Amino acid sequence: MEDQQPRPPAHRFGGELTRREVVAAAGAVPLAAMLPTAAAAQSHLAGRTGHNEATVTVRTVINGTPRHLELDPRASLLDVLREQLALTGAKKGCDHGQCGACTVHIDGRRVVSCLTPAVQTDGAEVTTIEGIAPDDQLHPMQQAFIDHDALQCGYCTPGQIMAAIACVQEGHATSREQIREYMSGNICRCGAYVGIVAAIEDAAPKMRRA
Amino acid sequence: MSAAPFPNTARVDAFDKVRGAARYGADRSPPGMLHAALATATIGKGRIESIDTSAARAVPGVRLVLTHEDLASEIKPAGYLMAGGYASNGLQPMIAPEIAWRGQPIAIVVADTLPAAIEAAALVRASFAVEPIAVELSAEGTQTVVQSESQLPKPMYEDIVAGDADKAFAEAAVQVDAVFTTPAQHQNPIELVGTVAEWKDGTLIIHEGTQNAEAMRHGLARQLGLTPEQVQIVSPYCGGGFGQKNSLQIYTPLAAVAARRVDRPVKLVVPRAAVFHNSSFRPASRHRFRLGADKSGKLIAAIHETDSQSSRHDLFPTLYAETTGHMYAIDNFRGRERLVRTDTQAPGYMRAPFEHVAAFTMESCIDEMAYALGKDPVALRLANDAYADPISKKPFSSRHLAECLTRGAAMFGWDKRQMAPGSMRAPDGTQIGWGVAAGSYKAATAPAIARLTLTDQGRAIINVGVHEMGQGIRTALSNVVAAKLGIAPELVEAEIGVTGASPQHLTAGSWGTATAVPAASEAADAMLKALAELGQSDAAGRKPAELLKAAGRPSLSVEIRRKAPGHPDQIFGRLASGLPSAMGPAYPEYVSFSYIAHFVEVRIEPGTRRIRVPRVVSVVDCGRVVSPRTATSQVQGGVVWGIGAALREASEVDPRFGGFLNADIAEYVVPVNADIGSIEVGFIDKPDPRLNEVGVKGLGEVVMVGVAPAIANAIFHATGKRLRDLPIRIEHVLDKGDL
Ligand code: FES
Ligand code: FES
Repeated sequence: MEDQQPRPPAHRFGGELTRREVVAAAGAVPLAAMLPTAAAAQSHLAGRTGHNEATVTVRTVINGTPRHLELDPRASLLDVLREQLALTGAKKGCDHGQCGACTVHIDGRRVVSCLTPAVQTDGAEVTTIEGIAPDDQLHPMQQAFIDHDALQCGYCTPGQIMAAIACVQEGHATSREQIREYMSGNICRCGAYVGIVAAIEDAAPKMRRA
Repeated sequence: MSAAPFPNTARVDAFDKVRGAARYGADRSPPGMLHAALATATIGKGRIESIDTSAARAVPGVRLVLTHEDLASEIKPAGYLMAGGYASNGLQPMIAPEIAWRGQPIAIVVADTLPAAIEAAALVRASFAVEPIAVELSAEGTQTVVQSESQLPKPMYEDIVAGDADKAFAEAAVQVDAVFTTPAQHQNPIELVGTVAEWKDGTLIIHEGTQNAEAMRHGLARQLGLTPEQVQIVSPYCGGGFGQKNSLQIYTPLAAVAARRVDRPVKLVVPRAAVFHNSSFRPASRHRFRLGADKSGKLIAAIHETDSQSSRHDLFPTLYAETTGHMYAIDNFRGRERLVRTDTQAPGYMRAPFEHVAAFTMESCIDEMAYALGKDPVALRLANDAYADPISKKPFSSRHLAECLTRGAAMFGWDKRQMAPGSMRAPDGTQIGWGVAAGSYKAATAPAIARLTLTDQGRAIINVGVHEMGQGIRTALSNVVAAKLGIAPELVEAEIGVTGASPQHLTAGSWGTATAVPAASEAADAMLKALAELGQSDAAGRKPAELLKAAGRPSLSVEIRRKAPGHPDQIFGRLASGLPSAMGPAYPEYVSFSYIAHFVEVRIEPGTRRIRVPRVVSVVDCGRVVSPRTATSQVQGGVVWGIGAALREASEVDPRFGGFLNADIAEYVVPVNADIGSIEVGFIDKPDPRLNEVGVKGLGEVVMVGVAPAIANAIFHATGKRLRDLPIRIEHVLDKGDL
């Protein structure tokens, strides 16, 4: 909400980008330009002419498990995770890339899954809140969120934690000011920001050690 | 008893929340479920002349399209929450061709997939007869209603009067007379309104985040011709409410009817733009506040006159003067509230609905008065502290505002403040301002029925009417039951937000804790008594589960009913029928408020004139703090809300076409992480045993009250500019030379 500065987008990252990463970042580029195979492009076109049975086959790895998915080319990654794969940790808060509640990782980078067409995960690895720690364990960031009460209603929390882990991995958690800036793509309407910053400060060195 | 402070335990549901395992309404996807989407009106007011759904029906995967032509006899209005009903709007859309506000639903589409439903909804075409609209407070065509002369119930909505304020003000040696405006705002919890409607053997089951499961249940029963027993609401978690989810929403019956027609579960997640136009919002308001003092600095008169936005179809009553009239020892007070009917959905409650706005007016005037008198703003407030309620002359059940102010001043370092505006600057030219303001919020109580079950495995299940929306009520319930029974808080489970057992009364108005926690505490007392009656010898020192085992009982249940002092017994009938039943701030013997003092530093950057809030200190008197960790978070969250209200949030209306222009969470600007600095929290933590045995008042709303005026006062201190219109933005602190 900085008046003078753009929000650090959930998808800002440095270095060389592959084409898929650019696509993951932009989210809204024309679908045909990003489809991995000609066959997929054709079924996509079929979909646009009104045959909604037309699906696109996508091979992806979700939380470490290889998946073979038949996808509606119109569907966002968020809706596919939630409605098709029963991974409801990622939340819908806006569906417009504005709130960060749907943040997941694609190939280790944070993206807003509501603006990511699901078909674009072909050949990529997707990690959601359900996949960051083994069943009976917590990721250091999850533990830190508990310890600093970095949540209230909990609705933004999975997205905050996914963004926070990426924030540390990007090297953007070296000061409070930096954390605040690089976590500003994730809105917490309950206003748990003080706890979120404290949790990330606490978890960052633990993540680096791990 | 409540003598000892409660320990700083972790939030009991945090473990589920950080794993994404807590289940919110729209997380449910039962087998065979279909998806719904809405088409909405593109005019500000008028009538549907014709509606064409053929293109929508032709989209592959579409199963059903419903319009007003289908639903007129299938859905009845549920009535307005503030007029004896259950809904956020007394006007139920889609049962008649009339359009009362822009964005009102005109069709619901049900399809196999969400993309198909969205695509089809966009293809619904309607032609309208358009009528003129008035959506702004000062627009031509609005209608002004004097609240005290309206049909609204009295004495609740009578003018608040003590002494002769007009005469005393006219004679006051020092006068402040100022006009304030505050904008429409939207609550914007991050959880969208999302509902999953299912029918099982004639019973309707709704999964939807709410603050008021009982009103949803009874409202839907009324709308669909069912008995309340045929409706079940499931809302164990609510992803933020802030007043928006305080009643039955207009979308829910649409999803319910659609599910019945297709004989499948239906999920409807309402896009944020539609929520902006069909759920409630904080009304725009305009205030004239007059404050008079004698030369010594004793406040002798205050007059608070308000105009507040309402809707054409439902009157949203206001209580701005309930805050300002009871705040300080001012013997002469007059409040007068007017409601201005506009062409919008009904406005409603948003965190600290009247109190935040009222405190902005009064606390700004107090600061102005302090400068007019040449007195320190903290000292002026302390000098006018009240020892009894100035309106009713009854005592306060407890009041530690002075201690909030003095402790807050010490924590903040207030004694280093230089009084003169513009006197504190950083070396780079940044203007620094320190401001203070106080806040209050009624300490209300609702009736409750609490059932406590203990198992021989040592688990305790507390079932009571309250909703978890982030305030930490599960943790508070666990703490209080655990302390009484002498077991670990993790062993206590709260069954809340689900209808069927104890009535799930509206959780709002900061009465949740003061309602549910004393009830749970009494249930625990009853449990101890029941355990004693098991007749085990050497009961002392033995765990409840051991006593149960020894008595050969797998479990034991108790139930208690609790009402506020002064509530008649009939209140339990009202409670059972899902109607709001809370009492306060006035009780038979006393008047009850929570209090807070906020100290704020603002910094205004020299080049950009950007206003930053690097540091806030807030000290609260909310009675006993039952869950210190979640309470601290709640204070910090309330301060974030105050910063948003002071510097950012406004719902912009379109005077020509109606509706809200910035109807999303990027254009409606809320605070993000980078806007928030240090927020230091202090609690007085003195129990209020007159109000209830645990000694709790309320917290979730008072925390926001006074933040905005503290910021405005700090901006005055930084710049010498007295700003009375919210939100305050860069353009308001520009100097001539900056342009
Ligand atoms: S739901 Fe994706 S950013 Fe809000
Ligand atoms: S915890 Fe409620 S929105 Fe962040």
